[in-house]
Amino acid sequence: MRRKAIGRVFAGVAGAAVGVSLLAVALLILITAFQAGPLTSMRAVAEAGISLSLRSLEVPGAREALTYVTIAQVVAGSPAAALGLSRGDALVALAGTGVDRPSRAWEAVGRAPGGRAVTLPVVWLPRAEVALGGLRAEWRNGEAQVVMVSPSAAAREAGLQPGDVLLAIGGIPVSGTRQAWEALVVAARTQGVPVEITVEREGERLTLFWDPTRTGELTFVRDPLRAWWSFLTTLNEPRYPERAGLLPAFLGSVYVVLVMAAVALPLGIAGAVYLEEYASQNALTRAIEILVANLAGIPSAVVGIIGLEVFARALGAGRSILAGGLTLAVLILPIVIVASREALRSVPKTIREAALALGATRWETVRHHVLPYAFPAILTGTILSFSRALGEAAPLLFLGAFLYVTYVPQGLRDSFTVVPLQIFAWATRPQDGFAAVAAAAIVVLLSFLLLLNAGAILLRNRYQRRWSE
Amino acid sequence: MQGCKGLSVTTDLRPRVRVSRGRRRREGLARAVLALAGSLSIGITLLIVALFVHGSLPFLRTVPLGEFLLGTRWAPIHEPASYGILPLVGATLVTTGIALAVAVPLGLLAAVFLSTYAPPSLRRVLKPALELLAGIPTVVYGFFALRLVTPFLQRFFPSLGFWNGLSAGLVMGIMIIPYMASLSEDVLYAVPRSLWEGAYALGATRFEALVRVVLPAAVSGIGAAFILALTRAVGETMIVALAAGRTPTWPPDPTQPLLTLTAAIVNIATGDHEATAFIWSAVFSIGLLLFLTTLALNTLSYLVIRRFRERYA
Repeated sequence: MRRKAIGRVFAGVAGAAVGVSLLAVALLILITAFQAGPLTSMRAVAEAGISLSLRSLEVPGAREALTYVTIAQVVAGSPAAALGLSRGDALVALAGTGVDRPSRAWEAVGRAPGGRAVTLPVVWLPRAEVALGGLRAEWRNGEAQVVMVSPSAAAREAGLQPGDVLLAIGGIPVSGTRQAWEALVVAARTQGVPVEITVEREGERLTLFWDPTRTGELTFVRDPLRAWWSFLTTLNEPRYPERAGLLPAFLGSVYVVLVMAAVALPLGIAGAVYLEEYASQNALTRAIEILVANLAGIPSAVVGIIGLEVFARALGAGRSILAGGLTLAVLILPIVIVASREALRSVPKTIREAALALGATRWETVRHHVLPYAFPAILTGTILSFSRALGEAAPLLFLGAFLYVTYVPQGLRDSFTVVPLQIFAWATRPQDGFAAVAAAAIVVLLSFLLLLNAGAILLRNRYQRRWSE
Repeated sequence: MQGCKGLSVTTDLRPRVRVSRGRRRREGLARAVLALAGSLSIGITLLIVALFVHGSLPFLRTVPLGEFLLGTRWAPIHEPASYGILPLVGATLVTTGIALAVAVPLGLLAAVFLSTYAPPSLRRVLKPALELLAGIPTVVYGFFALRLVTPFLQRFFPSLGFWNGLSAGLVMGIMIIPYMASLSEDVLYAVPRSLWEGAYALGATRFEALVRVVLPAAVSGIGAAFILALTRAVGETMIVALAAGRTPTWPPDPTQPLLTLTAAIVNIATGDHEATAFIWSAVFSIGLLLFLTTLALNTLSYLVIRRFRERYA
C-alpha cells in the first residue's frame, strides 16, 4: 500500500513539474501582453500631435532633481498645433493629473472615463522666451542672479518689470535663466497656480502671484486597433516610444529570412538527401553527422562573429541583409538537415525498391518518388526552422544597425534591423514607454511565430501519410 | 541454339538495367552535387575553426595563456587593459548553474510524467505545448528576466540589482526545460518495453520499476540530454545580455550584475567605442574557447546518445 502511495505522490509531483513549467511561461507571456497595454494611450497622445520628453530641474541644495515634461515635437496641422502648443513648451497637467513624467500623461489619457474619443483639459506652459520673456544671468555679490530684461506681455501683466531680479519661484531658489523657467513649470504643477514669485526690485523684496499657464482642451482618440495597426505599419522614430514603429524591423526580418531560406533550404535538403539516400555508413558519414550535430550547438553569438568576419568583412557584403541572411543560414542549416533527414527516413523502403526495380536510377528514384512523398514533412521542418530564425537576435547583433534603422530596406546591400533586435534595443532603454513598446513587439512576434507553427502543424496533419508497412 | 545464349548462369545478382548515357551522367552529377552539399558542414566547421584560430592568434601570442584563463580582471577597453576571463567564466558558471538547477529537475520530471504517467490524450496536448515553449525567442525570455522577474524578486530581496545573474539564470532555466524534457522523454520512450515488463513481473510497482530499472537503463541518454542543456546554457546570449548586466565582477555574485562569456562578446561587438584589432582578437579568443567547449560537449553527448541507441534500438 505504502509503495503504491509513494508512486502516486511521485506521479503528482512529476505532473506538477509539467504544469508549473507551462504555467510559468504562460503567466510571463500574459503579463507581457498586459504591459503592452499603454500602447493605445501612447498612440492616442502621439496622434493628437505631441511627443513628450522627460527633463529634470536642478534645485540648489536639494539632493533629488525634480522632473518635468516638455513637448519635444508638435506635428504640423494636428489638434495640438491648432490649440497653440509648440515645441519646447512644458506639459503641466493633463486631465487634472500633474505630469511629472511622460508615462503620467499616457496613464491619464488611458484612465480617463469615456468612450473611444475623450476630450481632456490640458495645462501647459509656453517655452521660456514666450512665458517669461528675455532674461539675463548676472554674477552679483558672489552669486548668480537672474534679471528680467524684457518681460513678456503676460509677465508684465503679473507685475514683473524690466530690471527685476528673480530670487525664487514657488519657493525654489532661482540660479539660472533656464532654471527659472523650469522652476516655474514645476511650481505650477506641484503648488498650483498662481505661482508665488519673489523678486528684488531696487533693493526691496516683493512677492508677486502669477498664473503663467495656458489651458485648453485636446481630443484623444483611444483606439486599440488603430494603435496596433499604426505600430505595425509606421517607420520607427527612435527617440519617442509613442512614435515607435515596427515596420522596418518587420520587413527586415522577412527579407533576412528569405535570403536565409534561398541559401539554407537547397543546401540543407541536398545534404540530407546525400546523407540519407547516397552515403554509405563510413567514417566520413559519421564525421559529417557529428559535425552537423555540433553546428546546431554552436552558441549563436559565436555564429555572429563568423557572420561579421566572413560574410560582412571577407566577402565584402557589409552589415547588410545579404550578410544577415547568410549568417542565419549557417545557424539554420543543421536544423534543416536534421529535419529533412527525418522526413526522408519516414518514406518506406518499399517505395525506393519499387522504383529501382522498375529501372529508375537512384537520382530518378529520389527525384520522382522519395522527395515528393517526403515533401510535406520537409516543409513542416523547414517552417519550424524559419520560426527559429525569425526569433534569433544574437548572431545579428553584430550585423544590424538595430536602433537607428528608420527606413524600409530596399535591397540586399542595405543595412537592416529585425524584430528581435528591435525588442532588444527597446528593452534596454530606460526611458518611460519603451518597455511597453518592447512588450507590444513581443506580442506581435509571438503571435506571428504561433501562426507559423500552427501552419506547420496544419500542413503536417493535412499531408501526413500513414504508411502501412 | 542461339536462344540459349541468354540463359548462361551468372553469379552476379546485381540488377542489370540498361541505363542511357544521359541518365547515367545525370546520376553522377546529382551524386556529386548532393555529396558537395552534404560535406558542406565539414567545410563550414573547418572554416570556423580556422577563422577563430587565425583571429585569436595575435591576442594569444601577446597575452600569456595563464593570464588569459586565470586573470581576475576583465577590462579590455580601459587603461591599463587587462584580459583575465575568470570573471566571465565565473559569471557563465553562475548563470549556467542556476539555469540547470531549475531545468534539470523540472525537465526530467516532465519527461518522466510524459513518458510514463500521462494518458495518451494528455500527452498529445502537453508535448506540443512544451515544444512550443522551445520556440519562444530568447530575446523574449530576456525581456521576461529584465522586466518581470527581476522586479518581482526585488520585492522580496530589495538588495537585488537591476541587472543580476539570478533572474537571468532562473529564466534561462525555464527556457531550457523543454529541451531537457523533450530529449529525456525520447530516451525514456526508447527504453524497451521488456525492461518494464520484467520489473513488473518481479513485483515492482510502476514507481519502483521506473527508479530501479528504467532510469538506470536510460541514465546515459539522460546524461546526454543534460550535456546538451549545459551547452545551451553556456552559449545562451540574449537573456544574459539583457538581464545579467555588463559588469565583470570577481568573485561573481548572483545578486549583482555579471558579465558572461557570451555577453562579453556582445558587449564589445555592440559597444560605442570602435574596437581595435587587438580587442577583436580577444573576442575571437573567447569565441574559440566557447566553440571548443561546446564542440567537446556536443560530441560527447552525441557519442553517448549513440551508444544508448545502439544498446536499445
